[in-house]
Amino acid sequence: MDLLAQILVNGVLQGGLYAVMALGLALVWGVLNIVNLAHGAFIMLGGYASWYLYTYLHIDPFLGLPLTAVVMFALGYGIQRGLLNLVIRAPMFNTLLITFGLEVVLTYLAQLVFSADFRTINPPYAGSSLALGPLVLPVARMAAFAVAIFLTVGMWLFLLHTRLGRAIRATAQNLVAARLYGVEPRHLYAMTFGLGIALAGMAGTLYGTVSQINPYIGASLTAKSFAIAIIGGLENPLGVLVGGLFLGIVESLTTLYIGQTYADVASFGILVLVLIVRPGGLLGRTT
Amino acid sequence: MKTWKIGLVLAALAVLAGVPWYGSDVLVQFGINALLLAVLAQGWNIIGGYTGYASFGNSVFYGLGGYGVAIAMVQWQLPFAVGMGFGVVLAVVFAVLLGIPVLRLKGHYFAIATLALSQVMTAIVSNVGIAGQNIGLVLPPLNNDPLFYELSLGLLTIATLTIWGMTRSRFGFGLIAIRENEEGAAVMGVNTTLYKVMAFALSGIFSALAGGIHAYWVTFLDPASAFDISLNVKMIIMAVFGGPGTVLGPIVGALTLSTISEFLSSEVTSIAGLFFGLVIVVAVVLMPRGLADMLRRMRKMGWGYFIENIRAHRL
Repeated sequence: MDLLAQILVNGVLQGGLYAVMALGLALVWGVLNIVNLAHGAFIMLGGYASWYLYTYLHIDPFLGLPLTAVVMFALGYGIQRGLLNLVIRAPMFNTLLITFGLEVVLTYLAQLVFSADFRTINPPYAGSSLALGPLVLPVARMAAFAVAIFLTVGMWLFLLHTRLGRAIRATAQNLVAARLYGVEPRHLYAMTFGLGIALAGMAGTLYGTVSQINPYIGASLTAKSFAIAIIGGLENPLGVLVGGLFLGIVESLTTLYIGQTYADVASFGILVLVLIVRPGGLLGRTT
Repeated sequence: MKTWKIGLVLAALAVLAGVPWYGSDVLVQFGINALLLAVLAQGWNIIGGYTGYASFGNSVFYGLGGYGVAIAMVQWQLPFAVGMGFGVVLAVVFAVLLGIPVLRLKGHYFAIATLALSQVMTAIVSNVGIAGQNIGLVLPPLNNDPLFYELSLGLLTIATLTIWGMTRSRFGFGLIAIRENEEGAAVMGVNTTLYKVMAFALSGIFSALAGGIHAYWVTFLDPASAFDISLNVKMIIMAVFGGPGTVLGPIVGALTLSTISEFLSSEVTSIAGLFFGLVIVVAVVLMPRGLADMLRRMRKMGWGYFIENIRAHRL
């Protein structure tokens, strides 16, 4: 019983991180109708940014989060404004393909610049953990989980209550009407993509504090983010949080009862099943 | 097709077929890889180019073809040809069983579902005893590169002839109709589910045969190399670069990009990967309908062709 409780806790902690990973993907997909296949590569870049900040400037990864976010936001804004806006009205397959190309470019650039070695961000508290009865709660994972919840709820409030958030939601619903109300789509699209990439970058920081990073982690993280976005739906960050927690728990249960190698089978199996049964997401709109 | 065009194609085929006689060993080995990639690009062309379903999971068929040959030859001591047949059976079964549910999805959803399938297959095969689990299988060696070269060229020729025949058949027109407007095609009496599954299976058969030849050629197979996800990248780029939905475009794309990539990777390996990524990005922006369309229309429009493409799709 203790083991099961511990596994569930691990799953929930991992799931919070998954939710932040998927948040940016869902935002960009919902508003721009681009499935950003380079999303995982941006998570990877965020991880490296924090690794460099910590290793060379000794900035704690959690304190460095705003800095990482700003840098990644600028990168995302630039890519959308300078590149993706050029193809945004092309057929779906072309936008999918161009982000695929970006993923390949970022992965190999990372391999050239950062080398293929595994990196871990190792702040002094990385190995320590709290004991809660029979449960073990690693400090870094707890912190990552807290940040994840903070970012998700923050994103939800931002979309609901700020001017920019409302403009983003309006554009997702109806671009033409949003334009009539004074939304400048080129700028708004770039802001949205920038936000999505900033979220990916912060997810990368959190990922780097709890697991290892290397240039090739991107593709599978993109697929996981996609699975979560599908389960949680695209409209609501809280749905994405539920999707992330769900996937985290399923993965740790699979690891316990069936085996480590089947964890990916379980998550992608669920993805395919959900796609077939409810393409709008388990919690999303019905289509 | 005009007579001179047929003559040109036959001459190119003769030049290619002669490579083992006048080319070096290195050229023959490069040729096998390039031709098998061209077969994969042609296979993708059927489901992605003609039917409009962008599969990101065709590497699964390639892996199944490889495992068909490896299991038949290593575990059951059967001849290579039987193994190829077994691989094709596996690919068709997979295409039908998973194609029926997955081909109901459209656009992004189909693309990602197939991407997920290719990741799932790696994990599943790593746990199958007869497939050698994680360790993989070692096939009996057959040091006969010219034979593998001619086999690959033959397979590419058959695949291309099949597509050429398809484009002038009821089946091919049905697929194009599905690509352009699926509801419309259904209204006009196209059995869309049947046609899509058939296209998926046909695409899978050629990919599986390529995988089988490759497995016997390199004499080793493990889950990571058999279901190599980066193969999806390559086959899609090659087809899209050459011209998806054209008979010869994917071959031109595959041979051009393989050649350039070979020269680059002799310098630094990761440069070749970087190059592939850049080609996709630039191609999607400047020539989204591929080399074939560019060559045709640039004669009339000149550099304006690129500006026209950007103008049509930018915000």
